[in-house]
Amino acid sequence: MVPVFLAQWMKEKRSPYMVLIFISISIAAALLFGSNMDIKLKIDTFRGEGVTVEEAERWIDRLNESGAFIFSLRAEEESLADVRQGRSDMAVRLLKDDYRIIAVMESTNVELVQQHMQAVYHEEFRIMAAASHAEDELEFREAMKTYMEQPPLKLQSSTSSGSELRSYDMRLQLLFGFSLFLAMLTVGFRVNAMTAEKISGIWNRVILSPLTKTEMYLGHLTYSTLIGIVQITMVFLLAKYLFGFSLGHSFGMLAMIVVLYTMTIVAMSMLFTGILRTPEQFGAIFTSIVPIMPLISGAYMPPGTITNDVLLFIGQFLPLQHALDALIGVSIYEQGWTDIYLPLAKLLLMAVIFFGVGINLVERRRL
Amino acid sequence: MLETVELSKSFKGKTVVDGVSLYLDQGESVGLLGPNGAGKSTTISMISSLLAPTHGDVLLRGKSVIKHPQDIRRVLGVVPQEIALYEELSAYENLQFFGRIYKLKKTALESKIQEVLEIVGLRERQKELIKTFSGGMKRRINIAAALLHNPQIVIMDEPTVGIDPQSRNHILDTVRYLNLEKGTTVLYTSHYMEEVEQLCKRMYIMDHGKVIASGTKEELGRILSSEDTILLQLDAYDDAFIEEIRSLDPVRQVERTDQGLKLIIAKQSRVLSSIVQSAERHSVQLINMHVHTPSLEDVFLHLTGRTLRD
Repeated sequence: MVPVFLAQWMKEKRSPYMVLIFISISIAAALLFGSNMDIKLKIDTFRGEGVTVEEAERWIDRLNESGAFIFSLRAEEESLADVRQGRSDMAVRLLKDDYRIIAVMESTNVELVQQHMQAVYHEEFRIMAAASHAEDELEFREAMKTYMEQPPLKLQSSTSSGSELRSYDMRLQLLFGFSLFLAMLTVGFRVNAMTAEKISGIWNRVILSPLTKTEMYLGHLTYSTLIGIVQITMVFLLAKYLFGFSLGHSFGMLAMIVVLYTMTIVAMSMLFTGILRTPEQFGAIFTSIVPIMPLISGAYMPPGTITNDVLLFIGQFLPLQHALDALIGVSIYEQGWTDIYLPLAKLLLMAVIFFGVGINLVERRRL
Repeated sequence: MLETVELSKSFKGKTVVDGVSLYLDQGESVGLLGPNGAGKSTTISMISSLLAPTHGDVLLRGKSVIKHPQDIRRVLGVVPQEIALYEELSAYENLQFFGRIYKLKKTALESKIQEVLEIVGLRERQKELIKTFSGGMKRRINIAAALLHNPQIVIMDEPTVGIDPQSRNHILDTVRYLNLEKGTTVLYTSHYMEEVEQLCKRMYIMDHGKVIASGTKEELGRILSSEDTILLQLDAYDDAFIEEIRSLDPVRQVERTDQGLKLIIAKQSRVLSSIVQSAERHSVQLINMHVHTPSLEDVFLHLTGRTLRD
């Protein structure tokens, strides 16, 4: 086993670029796409008939107090021209006690803006209605603001372990998603080296040596697993210590998930190796299928975005989805072993099945 | 020492090797000749225990290799037809790997690597990557990798295919050295008749999965002892000319060559004047004509009706 392992390592040493590039891409993608998640959507507004500048600005201040949008006042012609030419999704016409959203097509953003504006207008009208009964409207508003800062009832949320509930960190999910995805490619190409060795005749030479087949498989598969673990671990360490990502406190559990996930993707690559006949076929088909996996697993989208039953069903058969669930559970929600045993058990089951079928197919095939 | 008994192999109903029986005595150098697709590589795979035969057995000192593959693997070095090396590693690193799989200890491995590099003449280039080597140099390292564990039997599957003359000569010298100096038993497969003639005392000729002739050079040569070979160098000729030559009574076989025709004729027959007359009748310019005793290549042509390189 050791000579096979060392030969793979020597090849890696000679050309470590793939692993290094994938480590860089994992972090860069998480930083790049993760930072986009914090950017607020800019919405142009313009005054409708009979609305003064002061009234419009007051509504804009109210709308900007909360939510994921920045409303700004612009000229009607410019705002509408931008919508018409596709430079912006929508524009908002402010009316007396009402508004209109102008968009060329329905989208999630339009729905979110509609929800936000409806909530703000609804609240403001209730305050206005209450203020109309007060003697001094300004004083009433001030009193209400003070009252809301110290409400009689406070709702406090915490995690299942009693610690503070942290807001969902999309950057962290992206970091996990990209690093798990790119590890699949690294591991896949390492496992594919076995097929290349079969075709080049190295495999037969090794069979003729005192080395057993079990040792040959172990050498290859141990190396592939280890290189996958090293790649993911390096991404996590760099993300934590260099870029300040918060990975939670259970490093042992994260390590366990990473080890189990890497073993499962090695097994999955073995299955692909068994099904596909040549390294070229593997290179073409594996690299076409693997990028779809994070999409189906929802790795790039906020939780709950994927609602399609078919996609959710397919996702159950993808190691990435279960590893992602477990990693997010441990690092964001501070879950324990009892909370993540199910995704880990599924990963283990997949590893056993994929290895069994994959090695069987590889052994049956005569190159 | 090594013997195959009625060895056969079929793939999906198609018989690739059909009842091959051959033997190798200790220290002998034996050639296995045949055109592409004759079944040489499949026979080698079965002898080396890589492939199980459909029928028959391989015996090493009387013991079945099929039942005890480890026995032959200990004493066998196989040089495959393909370059079975890691292109990304250096010659030294490749040999280090192949030495390690034979469980050679560090000091022994180091001295053995230097020894085999010396044999194949690439000691000075050991630190260079295989992917930077020429085809001939790769083939020499391919051979070196099979010699690390001091094999008693070496099987070489067409080790000189597609290489430059210098590397080819080096490989032939290596085979001679292994056989004559070190007493290694060699089974050498090739479709280059002259290589086998130079290196091997005995040979087997295979075609369509069967051994069609075997023996020493002299024994095989006697197959055509009652024939002569005529090489005709012609500028241009047509099928009608070939048919007329073929119809001449002493002519047994006609084969096209790069420069004209090769005829196998009954020994000492008076056919030359008829050939010249035919050439004149068909306006074929006869540039040269050479009569000689048949070579092993001619024997192969006689036995199979085609040349080794077909």
